[in-house]
Amino acid sequence: MTARLSPPITTRLTERAGRVLEFLWSGWAGLAALFLLAAIWQAGHEAYGPFILTSPQETVAAVWRLAGDPAAWAVAGLTLQRAVTGFALVSGAGITIGLIAGYSPATMRLAQPLITVLMGVPPIAWIVLAMIWFGGSDATVRTVIVVSALPVVFLGAAQGIATRDRGLDRMAQAFGAGPVRRFLTVGLRQTTTTLFPAQVLALGTAFKVAVMAELLANAGGIGGALANARINLDIATALAWVLIAVLLLIAVEYTLVHPVKGEIDRWRRAAQPWGVKR
Amino acid sequence: MSVLSLAGVEHAYLGRSVLKAVDLTVGAQEIVALVGPSGCGKSTLAHVAAGLLEPKSGRIERRYRRHAMIFQDPSLLPWATAAQNIAFGLRLSRLPRRQRADCVAEAAARAELEPGDLAKYPVELSGGMRQRVAIARALAVRPDFIYFDEPFTALDVALRRRMQDVAISNCADAGLSGLFITHDLHEAARIAHRVMVLDTYGAGILGDRSLPGRPGSRSDTQVQEWVAAALSRDPLFRHIHDVDERQIA
Repeated sequence: MTARLSPPITTRLTERAGRVLEFLWSGWAGLAALFLLAAIWQAGHEAYGPFILTSPQETVAAVWRLAGDPAAWAVAGLTLQRAVTGFALVSGAGITIGLIAGYSPATMRLAQPLITVLMGVPPIAWIVLAMIWFGGSDATVRTVIVVSALPVVFLGAAQGIATRDRGLDRMAQAFGAGPVRRFLTVGLRQTTTTLFPAQVLALGTAFKVAVMAELLANAGGIGGALANARINLDIATALAWVLIAVLLLIAVEYTLVHPVKGEIDRWRRAAQPWGVKR
Repeated sequence: MSVLSLAGVEHAYLGRSVLKAVDLTVGAQEIVALVGPSGCGKSTLAHVAAGLLEPKSGRIERRYRRHAMIFQDPSLLPWATAAQNIAFGLRLSRLPRRQRADCVAEAAARAELEPGDLAKYPVELSGGMRQRVAIARALAVRPDFIYFDEPFTALDVALRRRMQDVAISNCADAGLSGLFITHDLHEAARIAHRVMVLDTYGAGILGDRSLPGRPGSRSDTQVQEWVAAALSRDPLFRHIHDVDERQIA
């Protein structure tokens, strides 16, 4: 018998290539939105003049100038490194605690008020504390990222487990799966519904908080560069750095988060009507 | 020889007794239908017998090699294709991939699934097809005992009949044993060798009746006449259409 559980490798590769092309094609819609934003920006520039708001063209030129400077690459690389390591830390910690809380109502009851406290303390207060503890180092930035993004990752993971379909657990148990295998085959996969939006939010927070912490803690990176631009009243460079921070976030989100999400959510696409897919 | 026997089984749900003094046996190559009014604890009894729930007291002996279970809800993994769903039990028993594929194809054929449907996700399948996938998943692990937990209740009449035929050809005719939970006496009379009635309040098995002939060989008239006679003349079946909305899972 020549039965197969999955289609042959060539079919799978063409299917994957198709999905990638479809995804790239959907980029036109994204570009349209970005150009709309640029148009509004341009209108603002024409209304208030270059000193308040430089034009998008000049900003792009400033980005281009910075792109030719190796020192600028080092600055951006530093922020990128801090944001991504901070994100990795917060993902690891948040998902672990969240999964435990999802399975154990007692942990959930203990953790919930702590999460509320974490959310209530403004990030700026954490920056001040972290500066005192760690000075202007990577640890300061990472600490602030972890503290600011932890609640959302925790809740994403905990909700995913708490709202899982218990019928599937029962089914897996009927087929002889113990608690660990039930978690691996049935539970973990169901958390992705709530965990992925939380992860996207956490990644955005990581970049925003990294730049803010760098600026306030005088820790170099894009935040440091923004502080220098502010001193020199160099609006074009300031906006250029903002643009670079956004580009870095987009790059990380579309190379790290979305491919994984696309792979995991394949079954969801199967249910979507044609008009939603494209 | 019995392959499943329960003696004096009691189960309590949050302190309230649901099943009391249940004695039940299923013989080798025998399908036993368990009927009873809604909410009398039939499903709970099946879950206790299959080991999904721990009984408060009593003895359960399982002398079969391997069991499988078919639920009222198909309980398919939404993120896995039909083929991967059918292979779920095989994956849990750590069967090598190559052999898994053969088992899946064979089980799918027995549940009358088209090969083209195997690559589809559950969202792309109709209710009847999903239940066929659930049946194939149960058959794929090559069980010698199957628990049916009201598997066809949610399906319409024509589809239910087709599914019953699939169950008859794969279980009763293939020499498997099974416990079939249902509240439909008609269904019980088509599928089973023997019908058991559970008390309205779960207080033991009230009695059982053997059906004439083999499950696959009974004509519709025979089934209908048996059901009509049971409902009108047999005191054992007097309360099976009583309704008590305690709604125990």
